[in-house]
Amino acid sequence: MRRGKPARGGPDKKRRHGPRLPTTMRRELDAMGSGPARGSDDEEVSDAGAEDVYEYEEGVPEEEAGKNGRYDAVAKYEYEFDSDASEADEDVPSEEGEDMEDDGEDEEKQIRILQETTGMPREAFDGKKRKQPSELPLPHGDGPITIHDLLDNIQGKPGYSKVRKRLQQQEKKTMVIAAPLPKVERDKLDRNMTYEQSKGEFTKWERPVKGNREAATLFFENDVNLGVNTIAAIASEFKPRTKLEKTIDELTRSTEIMEAHKNDGAKILELNKIDVEDVRERQNRLAKMRSLLFRHEMKAKRVKKIKSRTYHRMLKKDKLKAASADFEADPEAAKDYAMKQEFKRAEERMTLKHKNTSKWAKRILKRGLSVQDEGTRAAIAAQLQQNALLTRKMNSMKDDSSSEESSDDDEDENDSEAKILNRGKEKILKVIEEDKEIPNSGVFSLPFMERAMKKQKEAAYEEARRALEEYDNSLRKLEESDNTERNDSINVTGKRAFGPAKNTPEDANKRQKLEETENSDSEYDSDPAEHLGNNEATTKDGIPLGRALLDDEQNDLYKSFDDIMKNPGPKTTFEVGMLAGDSWKTVKSSKGNDDNNVNRITNKSKLQTPIVDPNPKQRDNDPDSDSEEEMVEGFMTISDTKENYELPSQADLIRQAFAGDDVEAEFEKGKMEVLNEENPEPEKPALVPGWGQWTDIQQKKGLPSWMIKEHEIAKRNREEALKRRKDSKLKHVIISEHVDKKVEKYLARNLPFPYTSKDVYEQSIRMPIGPDFNPAISVSALNRPAIVKKPGVVIKPIQYEEVDHHQKPDEPKRVIQRVTPHPNAKKKQSKGATSHKRK
Amino acid sequence: MAPARVDAQKDAENELEMKVAKYSRGKGADLKALRDKKLKGQLAVKEKLFGQSAKAAAKAEQWLMPCEEGFLEPDDLEKTYRFPQESIMKEVDLLSSRKPFDMILPVLGPYTIEYTSNGRYMLVGGRKGHLAMMDMLNMDLIKEFQVRETVRDVAFLHNEQLYAVAQKKYPYIYNRHGTEIHCLKEHGKVLKLQFLTKQFLLASINSFGQLHYQDVSTGEMIANYRTGLGRTDVMRVNSYNAVIGLGHAGGKVTMWKPTSVKPLVTMLCHHGPVTAVAFDRGGHLMATAGVDRKIKIWDLRKYEVVKSYTARAQSLDFSQKGLLACSNGSQVEIYRDFGGHDYRLYMKHRMMKGYQVGKVLFRPYEDILGIGHSMGLSSILVPGSGEPNFDTFVDNPMETTKQKREKEVHALLDKLPPDTIMLNPNLIATVRAPKKKEKKTKKENEEEMEEAIEAAKNTARKKKTKGRSKPSKRAKKKEEDVFRAKRPFLEQSEGDGRPDKKQRVGEEVELPKALQRFAKKPQS
Repeated sequence: MRRGKPARGGPDKKRRHGPRLPTTMRRELDAMGSGPARGSDDEEVSDAGAEDVYEYEEGVPEEEAGKNGRYDAVAKYEYEFDSDASEADEDVPSEEGEDMEDDGEDEEKQIRILQETTGMPREAFDGKKRKQPSELPLPHGDGPITIHDLLDNIQGKPGYSKVRKRLQQQEKKTMVIAAPLPKVERDKLDRNMTYEQSKGEFTKWERPVKGNREAATLFFENDVNLGVNTIAAIASEFKPRTKLEKTIDELTRSTEIMEAHKNDGAKILELNKIDVEDVRERQNRLAKMRSLLFRHEMKAKRVKKIKSRTYHRMLKKDKLKAASADFEADPEAAKDYAMKQEFKRAEERMTLKHKNTSKWAKRILKRGLSVQDEGTRAAIAAQLQQNALLTRKMNSMKDDSSSEESSDDDEDENDSEAKILNRGKEKILKVIEEDKEIPNSGVFSLPFMERAMKKQKEAAYEEARRALEEYDNSLRKLEESDNTERNDSINVTGKRAFGPAKNTPEDANKRQKLEETENSDSEYDSDPAEHLGNNEATTKDGIPLGRALLDDEQNDLYKSFDDIMKNPGPKTTFEVGMLAGDSWKTVKSSKGNDDNNVNRITNKSKLQTPIVDPNPKQRDNDPDSDSEEEMVEGFMTISDTKENYELPSQADLIRQAFAGDDVEAEFEKGKMEVLNEENPEPEKPALVPGWGQWTDIQQKKGLPSWMIKEHEIAKRNREEALKRRKDSKLKHVIISEHVDKKVEKYLARNLPFPYTSKDVYEQSIRMPIGPDFNPAISVSALNRPAIVKKPGVVIKPIQYEEVDHHQKPDEPKRVIQRVTPHPNAKKKQSKGATSHKRK
Repeated sequence: MAPARVDAQKDAENELEMKVAKYSRGKGADLKALRDKKLKGQLAVKEKLFGQSAKAAAKAEQWLMPCEEGFLEPDDLEKTYRFPQESIMKEVDLLSSRKPFDMILPVLGPYTIEYTSNGRYMLVGGRKGHLAMMDMLNMDLIKEFQVRETVRDVAFLHNEQLYAVAQKKYPYIYNRHGTEIHCLKEHGKVLKLQFLTKQFLLASINSFGQLHYQDVSTGEMIANYRTGLGRTDVMRVNSYNAVIGLGHAGGKVTMWKPTSVKPLVTMLCHHGPVTAVAFDRGGHLMATAGVDRKIKIWDLRKYEVVKSYTARAQSLDFSQKGLLACSNGSQVEIYRDFGGHDYRLYMKHRMMKGYQVGKVLFRPYEDILGIGHSMGLSSILVPGSGEPNFDTFVDNPMETTKQKREKEVHALLDKLPPDTIMLNPNLIATVRAPKKKEKKTKKENEEEMEEAIEAAKNTARKKKTKGRSKPSKRAKKKEEDVFRAKRPFLEQSEGDGRPDKKQRVGEEVELPKALQRFAKKPQS
């Protein structure tokens, strides 16, 4: 029976809750008797069933749950609460569970009747019934619920009176619902509405879009935030994902570590507490150091800038002195210094850096020392001395036997020279003495050998004697030069210095000697005899020769430029200059404040009569006869003929008179040639070889008509082309029509896009746009690109923004971009423009 | 009082307007006739900017360039050409009165002179080998030396640091200190030298009538043309367009540029040999003198004679302000434009009798005419010849060393290539004239081919019997027709002789290392 009931929520729920016993069976079971709890349960259920159909339906599963031992206390409580409420409200009380089914049947009937009478769907009643208990505690019993019933419930709440009034009004009117419009009409109306809506939406875009289209430049520059964050920002967003990361994270965030860190930090902070005075002191100290450093630096800079050689020399000396003082005090430093020196010497020996091996020195020597200026010579000398010094030291270090030489750094070379000479002399004397013992056994005892030996000895003796003489000579000379040198060196601080200003023969002598010592020094540790010979040779011819040579040289080369100017010698013919001629000076001196200086000049020029060639010549047209004088004469004579006019010869007159005719005809011919070259004349048609040539047909017929026509067309074309030429009307001018291919790259191949007329285009480029031609205010505007955008800036789609219509239209549009869409986009912006892409 | 002020204001406005017109360089396009709205808008903006800058320039000129050239002003019945130098000297200020001088250098023969473009330095070349450079501002001799051979001409290069001298056999380049820098042997025996400042070209004409152009910044010989018109030493550069004018013995004047073998313009100017040529600063006026005792002034836009005088001249020169100096024997005449190219005698100066004037040259930015003659040099005052306001961006007579260096670098950076020399330099960037016969482009060729194929396909065929109109036969015939129509075009396109573009790209373009792995591998 119950199953047969349509549209009830109950059965569905029942089914959901699984199989259950029919009521009859349950009744029997109840009769058989069950546990007290159960019984009470059942009774409750039946109670509930008696109260309301709706509640009953809910109750079933509760009962079942009880059976299965899955009874939920909370659910039951709710249920009971519900049933209490319904019990109080229910207008149809039901005492017993047995009546439940009958009651349901009655209800069915009631609903059906209601359905029949009102014609309303039964759900309405069902729902009403269901809703009634929970929402609207209605006072009266039966009958359909009217709106008034519902209204009573909200009586006294705000808006109640309004609703009531409207209800009353409605009740007064008779309601007639109009038939709906046909679909076509409705659609049309819909469309209209949509159009109106969308029109407003679109027209608001018109203005910004137009503005952007017309703008000369669009800016997309304001948004420079490219979304790249700082490292800290990126790090803050970091979340550990992998296992390792997680463990590390755990470790780092563990409370122990955190606390430790905190404590440590606190400790650090504690330590940071420093006394104010300490800080001040430290600052002062630092400032002092800094200023000292700065001063030192400045000083070093200044010293470095000083170019004076003497200054540097002095400085070096001072330093050396200071160093030596140090050495005395400190043996360690002395040792170091010695090591350094040794190293230096070794280096010098390896590189021979100071021995005229450098490019510079070679070049200077090649050009000749005498040509050089004072500084260069001094430098060379210094270098040589340095070399000598270094090498000598080295020797001394090697064999301590020659203690004499190692004794003094600043030992005079002349002294050593004398020593060398003396020693040589001694040796020779010794040799001479030794020679007297002759071996008198063996081969040497033979008579012819003896003779030969004797002869040889004599020769040797002679030679030795001569050498001795030489030694004496050179020693004497050395003494002399020593004297002179001492005179010099009084003010040259004891060192050798060669000043070109004192370019006397003595000086040259000195130089010579320097070279000598140079030689002797370098070969000193080699065989003394060999050295002797060498020295002898140089002394023999070196000194006098060098002196003579240098004397000569001096005569020629040490003449100053002024001397040349004063004593022009045989080359004076070219010596006409503004300075030499003195005219320049006089002109300059005459340029006083007096007004008539020009007069004076002219007077003076009158005094100097110009040289005018007496015999005038024709204009020098011969390119080959181009000797200077002739050219000059030619130049002067052309004008001369004009000045002192002479009657030209008859032939000349005729030539001049008829010169023009020739020229014009020639020009015309030339022009025709050029024209023919640029627009060649068409070929004249001629008889064609081929068919009919051997007969008279072609001759009779003449040329084919197409040929003649073609020729005529070509002729006409040529004439037209000639007429089109710029020089067609100018008889005396040929303007080349030749198209220069190299120029073509500077011309536009065809009209650039937006332009449609050549004139407009050419007028638009007539003005230069560079900074040389325009003031600064318009240069940037003239050269701005259509879109100004920073690389990397993302151009966002256009956004609508309310525009102030009264703003200045001239201002260049500045498009403002935002990273995130602004919440109140309608807020006016300073430039008041919209941001979007250019279309 | 008030009306006078109004008048003055109006005058000032008119003047400003004129200047604005000058600086706006002609009229803008007629925007109303334009149909393209977008272009119209763009052009309107542009024109507005042009107007702005023209106005700014005019105002700047008004305030920054207030000096005007002064001329000799005669009382009635007085003639300006009767004023001797002495009387002019009395009137001028102290500074100007120190500028004229006479220098008598009788031995080393006729002198030629040359000024730097800023007018500060003068180079003097004596025929017999005397060279000297002077600083004209403080009358200082910078360097003087003798080359001991014929010197035919001298020319400054871009500044006074370098100059070229045409000597007996070759031209040489010397520096300021008289050190020989180069010997330009390729030029041969040069008679005349000219320097094109903006292009850094040294142009020379040698005794065989050969015209040489050499780039002095790179040393490259740009051009070497035979004029074919004989020996001449009449050469002048038109400073407006850097075209070189040569005067020839046949009365012709030819104009040359370095990229054309033939002269751009050949004019028959005189019935006898041409003795001198000069160009106005604006580039539209040319003065020529011939042995036929004529001095002619030409309008170079129309190639017509504007004015012709019966006089002789060995040397001509236009000043910056348009005065024309002619030398004749020992006399120098100066003509002035009295409006509408009406050149009338303005000044006259006689040298000592027997002096032969070789070259007259106005000194830039000064009212001074330099004269090189057979007995030395002179310079005279010519009021109103020089530009009174100098633009330091163009030429600065008071240049400091730093500015000079800066300018040199800028000039080198702004050096124009030699191809830009043309008769009308405004032609650059304009649309080129359509060619008479142009080769068809590939696209056009293809289009034509397609048309031909269509035509071949659509030809109607006769209905033929005996199986000759079978569908297969018709298809075959059609195919043949199409092929026949195609063939000439295919041959044309093959004639290009260029391999396929794709292939070339594949062969030539080498990808960067990082992208090489994405390249198509050659199939093995």
